[in-house]
Amino acid sequence: MPLLWVKLHGMTQDGPTRRDVLKAGATAAAITPVLTQPVLAGAAAPSGAITLLVNGERHQVEVEARVTLLDALRERLALTGTKKGCDRGECGACTVLADGKRIKSCLTLAVMQEGREITTIEGLAEGDELHPMQAAFLKHDAFQCGICTPGQIMSAVACVAEGHAGSDQEVRDWMSGNLCRCSCYPNIVDAIREAAGR
Amino acid sequence: MIVGRPMSRIDGFAKVTGRARYAADQQVRGVLHAYLVMSTVARGRITAVNTAGAEAAPGVIAVFTHLNMPRLTVPAPTHGFFKRYLPMQSPDVHHQGQPVALVVARTLEEAQHAATLVEVAYDARRPQSRLEEVMNEAFVPPPGSDGPNELTRGDVAAGMAQAQVRLEAAFHTPIHHHNPIEPSATQAIWDGDRLTVFESTQSLMNTRHSLSQAFGIPLENVRVLSPFLGGGFGAKGPVWPHTILTAAVARRLRRPVKLVLSRAHTYTSNGHRAETVQSLRLGARRDGRITALEHIVTQQVSRTEQTQFNSSEPTRMLYAIPNLRSVQRVARLDLPAQSFMRSPEAVTAHALECTLDELAYELDLDPIEVRLRNHADVNPEDGRPWGSKYLRECYRIGAERFGWSRRDPRPGSMRDGDMLVGWGMATAAHTAGGRPGSGVTVTLGTDGKATVRSATQDIGTGTYTVMTQIAADVLGLPVYDVSFQLGDSDFPEAYTSGASATVPTVGSGVNLAGTRALERLMALATAAGPLQGLPAARVAAADGYLFDREQPRRRVSHRAVLRAHGRPIEVTLTPPAAPLGYSTGATFAEVRIDPRTGRVHVSRIVGVFDPGRVLNRKTLRSQAIGGAIWAIGFTLSEHTLVDPATARIVNANLSGYLVPVNADVPHIDVSFIDKPDPASAALGARGFGETPMTGVTAAIANAVFHATGRRIRTLPITQDRLL
Ligand code: FES
Ligand code: FES
Repeated sequence: MPLLWVKLHGMTQDGPTRRDVLKAGATAAAITPVLTQPVLAGAAAPSGAITLLVNGERHQVEVEARVTLLDALRERLALTGTKKGCDRGECGACTVLADGKRIKSCLTLAVMQEGREITTIEGLAEGDELHPMQAAFLKHDAFQCGICTPGQIMSAVACVAEGHAGSDQEVRDWMSGNLCRCSCYPNIVDAIREAAGR
Repeated sequence: MIVGRPMSRIDGFAKVTGRARYAADQQVRGVLHAYLVMSTVARGRITAVNTAGAEAAPGVIAVFTHLNMPRLTVPAPTHGFFKRYLPMQSPDVHHQGQPVALVVARTLEEAQHAATLVEVAYDARRPQSRLEEVMNEAFVPPPGSDGPNELTRGDVAAGMAQAQVRLEAAFHTPIHHHNPIEPSATQAIWDGDRLTVFESTQSLMNTRHSLSQAFGIPLENVRVLSPFLGGGFGAKGPVWPHTILTAAVARRLRRPVKLVLSRAHTYTSNGHRAETVQSLRLGARRDGRITALEHIVTQQVSRTEQTQFNSSEPTRMLYAIPNLRSVQRVARLDLPAQSFMRSPEAVTAHALECTLDELAYELDLDPIEVRLRNHADVNPEDGRPWGSKYLRECYRIGAERFGWSRRDPRPGSMRDGDMLVGWGMATAAHTAGGRPGSGVTVTLGTDGKATVRSATQDIGTGTYTVMTQIAADVLGLPVYDVSFQLGDSDFPEAYTSGASATVPTVGSGVNLAGTRALERLMALATAAGPLQGLPAARVAAADGYLFDREQPRRRVSHRAVLRAHGRPIEVTLTPPAAPLGYSTGATFAEVRIDPRTGRVHVSRIVGVFDPGRVLNRKTLRSQAIGGAIWAIGFTLSEHTLVDPATARIVNANLSGYLVPVNADVPHIDVSFIDKPDPASAALGARGFGETPMTGVTAAIANAVFHATGRRIRTLPITQDRLL
């Protein structure tokens, strides 16, 4: 068997670092191919204090520019209801609302969301009073392990608000950006249709 | 009865509000963030590492490689450490995506960035990753936990000679990845030589034993916590190196450390469903009776382990086949360790059930009829009767619900406008249980409420909910007076949540411990008070009261008895091993295929199953739907692609590896026979979670044949294969 000599700079399998993403523009992350060469830079990333408005509360947080909204929520604000399933826009587990619109919080930087009103799963219920979408998910067993559920529910709330819940098929199409590996899709459709009807 | 009710999940409120804390969500003060650097070559040795750049990067606390990683003991495979070696203990590289360095930093971003600065040089050899190229090196491994890898029953040559029809078919199934939406996460916290880990695991037991062995510390010193798990499907049943490496660096640094795998890392860190090549030779008489079957399955294993997981129970147990040869072979490739993945038996079942469809066409018989004529009235493995089996009813009810009698069997005969329509069916079947019993503690407090504890897991299957229901029924308490707790290894040890074993092993434990606790309560109640002097047989319990069966008004509350007693009643036990169950069903699928593009859309699925007694119709239905949807992915879209030149996985993500999305999924009609299995000690319920994915895979493939006349024996059935 022939020997191959391979000398490669260390790279993660994840492709570009957050720094590359910053250069390329944040929205390019989802389509950047894997196994591109990272930029070998060592200097500290710029950082500073920003104000995030989350669930009606103002939070002063110190973040580097490369920190995603998702990691700011999870790792700085201890708002762990928003989940990370892929960190590259493929699964929807990180879905939150920004000024009422659904976004994938792994695909945007925290600094870009200053001044927007962010709503996460923690901000949906009024105390222990569930939002109708949460109640419908519970009633229809629209989850099993529950890890995709915060993202599904935030996406579902927006789906209804967008007027995309008029038929089962419309819900299926407009909810296809949120993966559920436990595969509760039919129950998710039932829950959304019921909540939309209210 | 509380059991059977379609109760909403007890953990549901926590899950819909975001309050459920999964392993990576737990807040640990002062925790450091770790990130892995993975090997870029598949076979070879590390010749040099340069960590200077990473060490100098802002926020970095330490960089570990094989040179400075603490030395660890490789845990025994008996507790789920299948891989048989720990990376970063030597310069050897056994597969692409093996950890070669681990960076620890103050923040996640700092760790991720510094990981890109680690430079590794390899002396790499050309890897082999093509199963078809090593078929001549395949071998039959020693027997595993699921029986022999080579089994002969009767005389296949004689059976083939009796046959009037003979079929031969070869199938190929690709690598699959579990892809739970929660990537594996570990947070390790040391206090002296005591270790606590928040771990995303399907097995507190396996994790605890493996950590104790790796560090040479007593079992009592290891506590594993996993109150919520974001899906596993087998990925988190075994113990994998990253968990141990995270604990090792936390110990060295004397700081808590958190590691969350990236999606890409999970593709080489958590096992996978191995690629298979299968060959079948089948002989039958004109009346449909199978006279002989030979089924040889060959699957990939890695260079370091050789356990066969794509096992052949369907071939051996599902039909009464008098002459049988079933062989399970393995061949080594330079790929990561493979492992079990939801419904391991689906792989061989798919080939068998597709071949039976071919037989039906060959004989001009209805596919259901072929299956009925070979129905196994007793377990063909040992000739013993089943605990219960209502498969015939499943076929009948399923055919009715689907409208099967309206099917024109001729391929290509059914259309809807331009679309080709196909109807297919197959039998669903999976073994369940047959594993050691799980420990349970039942405590009846002086407030009359019960706490039930077991170091089991709820992987989304509804363990919290159905165990509460069983306990409430057995103890005669309302559900809100029962608290079922899991996910803490300080509770009595329980078996892995896998192999459809949770209901049989934990359910029987809750039943047995609950029954003992109630007996003790009854003994107290009949010693004094309103029920004094009654024989125990005359006392029943329901809704928080013990009462005289003959005069139900003569009663006393649990609370009154316990208060008078002045201290709690506590029973801890481990039930005997759960018997191996076999849960079956009948599945039907309709596909619509665009003849211009070859795109297959599943437009209808019907499944009727026999899971024994239904403990909770709501959660069980969800499991059945989930299985059916997994079958859509298995048959039509999921495959992990490996570059043969480098043995690298090229689609280690969720955009190149296609799991079903909402728009891929039609209405799914699920029903259950719901009759208790007398062999079950879990109130008549059998393990079931893995049954509903089986059957549906072949039902879809058979429907594709019905629609197009094309028999696609290589999965997944993608558009290119139909054009
Ligand atoms: S974590 Fe953001 S889409 Fe997956
Ligand atoms: S509920 Fe488990 S991934 Fe959706």
